[in-house]
Amino acid sequence: MIELRQVVKKFAGRLAVDDVSFSVSKGEIFGLLGHNGAGKSTAIGMMLGQVWPTRGEIRICGHDVTLNRREALMKVGAIFEAPVFYDYLSGWRNLQILSTYTAPTSNARLREVIDWVGLTGREQSKVRTYSHGMRSRLALAQALLPKPELLILDEPSDGLDPEGIHEMRQTILRLRKELGLTILLSSHLLNEVEQLCNRIAVMQKGRKVFEGNVADVRAGLGRVALKTSNFELASKYLIEQGLITDTAENRYISLAAGRNTADVIQAMVAARIPVEGIWQHEQTVEDFYLSLIKPPAAEGDQ
Amino acid sequence: MFFAQLKNELFKLFGKKRTYIGFGAFLLAQTAMLLAFKYTRWQSSLERLLNGNGYDASEYISTLTVSVVMLIPQIALLMPLYATLVGGDLVAKEAEDGTLRMILCRPISRFRLLFVKWSAGVIFAVLLVVMLGFTAMAFASLLFPWGKMFVFAPGQAFSILSAHDGLIRFAISHLFLAMNASVMVSVAFMFSCFNMKPSAATILALSFLFVSMVMENIPFFESYENFFITHHFKCWLMIFQTPIPWPAIWESEIILSAVSATAFLIGSMAFQARDIKS
Repeated sequence: MIELRQVVKKFAGRLAVDDVSFSVSKGEIFGLLGHNGAGKSTAIGMMLGQVWPTRGEIRICGHDVTLNRREALMKVGAIFEAPVFYDYLSGWRNLQILSTYTAPTSNARLREVIDWVGLTGREQSKVRTYSHGMRSRLALAQALLPKPELLILDEPSDGLDPEGIHEMRQTILRLRKELGLTILLSSHLLNEVEQLCNRIAVMQKGRKVFEGNVADVRAGLGRVALKTSNFELASKYLIEQGLITDTAENRYISLAAGRNTADVIQAMVAARIPVEGIWQHEQTVEDFYLSLIKPPAAEGDQ
Repeated sequence: MFFAQLKNELFKLFGKKRTYIGFGAFLLAQTAMLLAFKYTRWQSSLERLLNGNGYDASEYISTLTVSVVMLIPQIALLMPLYATLVGGDLVAKEAEDGTLRMILCRPISRFRLLFVKWSAGVIFAVLLVVMLGFTAMAFASLLFPWGKMFVFAPGQAFSILSAHDGLIRFAISHLFLAMNASVMVSVAFMFSCFNMKPSAATILALSFLFVSMVMENIPFFESYENFFITHHFKCWLMIFQTPIPWPAIWESEIILSAVSATAFLIGSMAFQARDIKS
């Protein structure tokens, strides 16, 4: 549904997005993570044809957004952080206005969408009287109007209270379950991303620094924690024996294909290397994200 | 679809209170000018001018005469202000508020979106002029009788017309006034398409018109007056001359149309190249 190939965006010489590639398949909920200014919103802007890429190709629903924006966005809905509307008009009129930029939309469809997001009864009120949560629902309604197959959500929970965040999370799950939508979600709420997304990509300073499955992230990317008195010696020996492929942070090992922790213990005992503990490493998306974007410690800090 | 989009653009435009500032200001200005004309030496000086030229002033101080007397300063001073205020808002205000980003995640082309907005701006300009002319006549009729028409604008018009002929020409002059207002909206719209605040777009458009007006009045530029759009704005007064100088009027109208189209195209190109970010 979404395909970015070697996309680069420069603003007046400043690199905002640097050679980013990733793809989102049909039915996925894909999380786009990164610090403020990492390039997430610029990447989303390029997906929606609002920001012109300096280089690279962006395809949405099979169409190049730069060359064929109309076809590419025909089945796309989007929500941005802090949804903005014409406050002096009613929710109904706002939806009517926004729908005309896609295709003729019947009143029945408007009513259906208003009902789906739970705004029935308030649609004729002016938007300036809406709470933040109601604005979010209206934003969702406008995104659903064109019967989208792909929904792009740029920090949709921004500014919501805990109940609002919970409601938004449930709504996203409903969208997937009831409407079968593919969703790209950009968020700072890592707990939310962990609960919602199948796959994530992490951006840092305009570059993509990780892309993978949330399940793999949780399982520590297949890493095993090894506690031993001499990790360097143990890891060197285990690599020589072909039991592991890689090590990280002087505590994690990556098992070679077809090997398990019992093989490692057996080999270390045979080589008289003490094993104080060995277990499958598990982590939250937050742990993983923080370890990924943590600046490398200076040598003097070691 | 175009008409549905235009209708909604008009809903947006006329749903905002600031759109009505111009209408309200014109009503106030007309009331003030009407009272000033009636109760100051303004009326007597016009009567002296008529009597001095051998006309019976009582026949010519009429609804139509006073309507035009009220229109001339309003067209020169207030019209640019309110036309550029709305023109400067058309794109820049939506970009500032963030609603433009919401629109541009839809599969509408930027050119079409701008054309819809510009069309709404032109409709506003026409309505502003129609309202201005209608209320000028309505207000003038409250204090002055129906009768022959006298139009005087120093260096541009000195005309004596029958009531019937005067009314027709008064109506036709509003077509040309509508063109003037549309050009003002277009210039402000052009600036509005660049990455700037709505107030900046309005101020730039007003500055452009002001500079044009000042330069046009500098004797050195007298032979270059055709290059200044404010010179062509005056063509609406030519409609009161006898015979009507149609070639000169059409020349000005064609130039004003070209200015309007150029402003729209420059704005479109600038907007097309822009990155729309939050």
